Amino acid sequence: MSDQIVFDNVSKFYGDVLGVNRVNLSIPPGITSLVGPNGSGKTTLMNLLTGLIRPTRGSVSVLGLTPEQPEKFFALVGYCAQFDAFPKGLTGYEFVNSYLRLSGRDAAECDELAWRAIDRVGLREAANRKAAGYSKGMRQRIRLAQSIAHNPRVLILDEPLNGLDPLVRAETIALFRSFASGGCHVILSSHVLHEVDIISDQVILMSGGYIVAEGNIQGVRSEIQGQPMQIVVRCDHPNTLASRFFEEDHIVEVRMHADKKGLLIKTSDPDRFFNLMNHVALNGHKLESVAPVDDDVNSVYEYLIGSEEAAK
Amino acid sequence: MKSLWWTQILAVMRLEIKKTFFARRGLWIYLLALAPVALFTIQAVVTRSFHLTQPEPSSTGRLLTGEQLDSSIHDKMTRDEIIAALGEPAKSRTRRVRKFDDDGKEIRVQEETLQYYGTDRSVTLILADGVLVGQISNARLSLGQNTYVFAGVFQFFFIRLAVFFGCLGIFMNLFRGEMLDKSLHYYLLSPIRREVLLAGKYLAGLLAATVIFTTSTALQLIANLSSFSGAIVSRYLYQENGLSHIFAYLGVTALACVGYGSVFLAAGLLIRNPIIAAAIVLIWEDVNPLLPALLKKFSVIYYLKSLCPVQVPVDPGMPQLLRLLISNGDPISAYLAVFGVLALAAFVLWASSLKVRTLEINYTTE
Repeated sequence: MSDQIVFDNVSKFYGDVLGVNRVNLSIPPGITSLVGPNGSGKTTLMNLLTGLIRPTRGSVSVLGLTPEQPEKFFALVGYCAQFDAFPKGLTGYEFVNSYLRLSGRDAAECDELAWRAIDRVGLREAANRKAAGYSKGMRQRIRLAQSIAHNPRVLILDEPLNGLDPLVRAETIALFRSFASGGCHVILSSHVLHEVDIISDQVILMSGGYIVAEGNIQGVRSEIQGQPMQIVVRCDHPNTLASRFFEEDHIVEVRMHADKKGLLIKTSDPDRFFNLMNHVALNGHKLESVAPVDDDVNSVYEYLIGSEEAAK
Repeated sequence: MKSLWWTQILAVMRLEIKKTFFARRGLWIYLLALAPVALFTIQAVVTRSFHLTQPEPSSTGRLLTGEQLDSSIHDKMTRDEIIAALGEPAKSRTRRVRKFDDDGKEIRVQEETLQYYGTDRSVTLILADGVLVGQISNARLSLGQNTYVFAGVFQFFFIRLAVFFGCLGIFMNLFRGEMLDKSLHYYLLSPIRREVLLAGKYLAGLLAATVIFTTSTALQLIANLSSFSGAIVSRYLYQENGLSHIFAYLGVTALACVGYGSVFLAAGLLIRNPIIAAAIVLIWEDVNPLLPALLKKFSVIYYLKSLCPVQVPVDPGMPQLLRLLISNGDPISAYLAVFGVLALAAFVLWASSLKVRTLEINYTTE
């Protein structure tokens, strides 16, 4: 069995609209990040990979298998899609367990696997509540639990860090690393390069349905050093937090949000900024969300591929 | 492999059953199923209250024929003459009432009512001071007539509308509903063949539809028969063909769910708007009698009409088009009709399985 994920000259068109075009990729085990602005084709590529959509041209195989063999294929592949919806009326546990049962495993095994996955994402206490009533971060985590419950060898995650607070974000990244260190493929997407560069072995940059760059993260990272990144922090005491940020030399700019419940920060060193946020959270500041702003990736793209492409 | 498929089908059914039986948006299906039950219950209450149905002979004394009632009753008969002609009444009541004579003088009159039951009507005779002064006659609903009423409601409301739209609500939601809820991808990302998924969803829908609508049929029959006395119902069930009628109605209901279920499952995969799907299928089913012989066979109602145990009588004064819709001009044997519905459903499900294999998730266009 091959250990590669292979895209062979894959194109996908939605009528006249281009999804992705002429994608040739061979992805080895480890953490691979698909990065690009909204509409660049990341989700299309992931959906093609998992058979949710079919290529107009070309073929896709995962470890030598295709979605045409679902019993084998989806025993190896787990996909946490970006669709934030749940089947009606299910608790978190029922959600994870019910879809595990579709594999044909017996009830006891499914129960054990479901609880193990729920524990891995830290949702045991909330597992018997209705999933639809979860907070955004909890919904993200229970969907992650559902995608990893069957111990896949290929884990595909569409914007997996969206909506997670800094502590959970760190735990989730550690989870991805543990999967990758076990020889698995972890493919994740983000529209923010800084968000994933510290954890990725490989980065695939996409724009307008095309692969514009791929390869080792070190090379890409060196290209973008010095580009300031914008981050929005929603919190209960923005004034206190702002004064704390001014003490840091990597913070370029801090602006109060119009509703006085958040800050817009520009930093020249995102790694140090996210470490700082972990400290802030540990020191008792209540952070509602920490989210990089889209504009930042555009600035990276502007730098990497020119302003014309980035503006698309 | 087959045992794995069955395990997976059961797992799909387990997930779907809760949604199909207890979905808030499916409440109208229960109302649709209960509507004819309510209709027959009201009819039963009214007919029992006003003694408008055929009575039980043992409880009503001698059951008179219409001819006996017509020939035996004359004006100014005395009580004794009435008893001699018709026998003891089933019920009688006496009371004293105040009246005024021709001179306006108040007089006291003993008024008595005698109730007689005939096979086709009930007659209440009113006597004043022992002399017949008036009579009230009520036509009565016989069980035989009632079977035609039931057959009409069953064929033209229950099957063609209630089961039809109920199946639309249940089966179209199996795939289309999940696309609208953006949760279908969880199934498509599971290690299960899409044909097996389709089978599981169809069986879950079929279980729900069959339970809801056969229960409705059973309740309608109970409500309908409750208008009549135990002896009449007993005779209908065990000496006439009542039991076979009941099983036939239950069977036709289940087969309607099988047929319409498969059609609306396919429609849910092909057509986004349920109103368009309903309109297309409804028109196709209704124009069935006008279709060429071969096309008729691609219709669920074509087979169900031949399976209904009682054919609704066609009134000669009825418009030609309506008569054509009501009559079953091309009846087929029961075995062939059952096989036909099952074969049609299997064909539609097979075609659906081809579609579901290439189904793509594109929630943004839903």
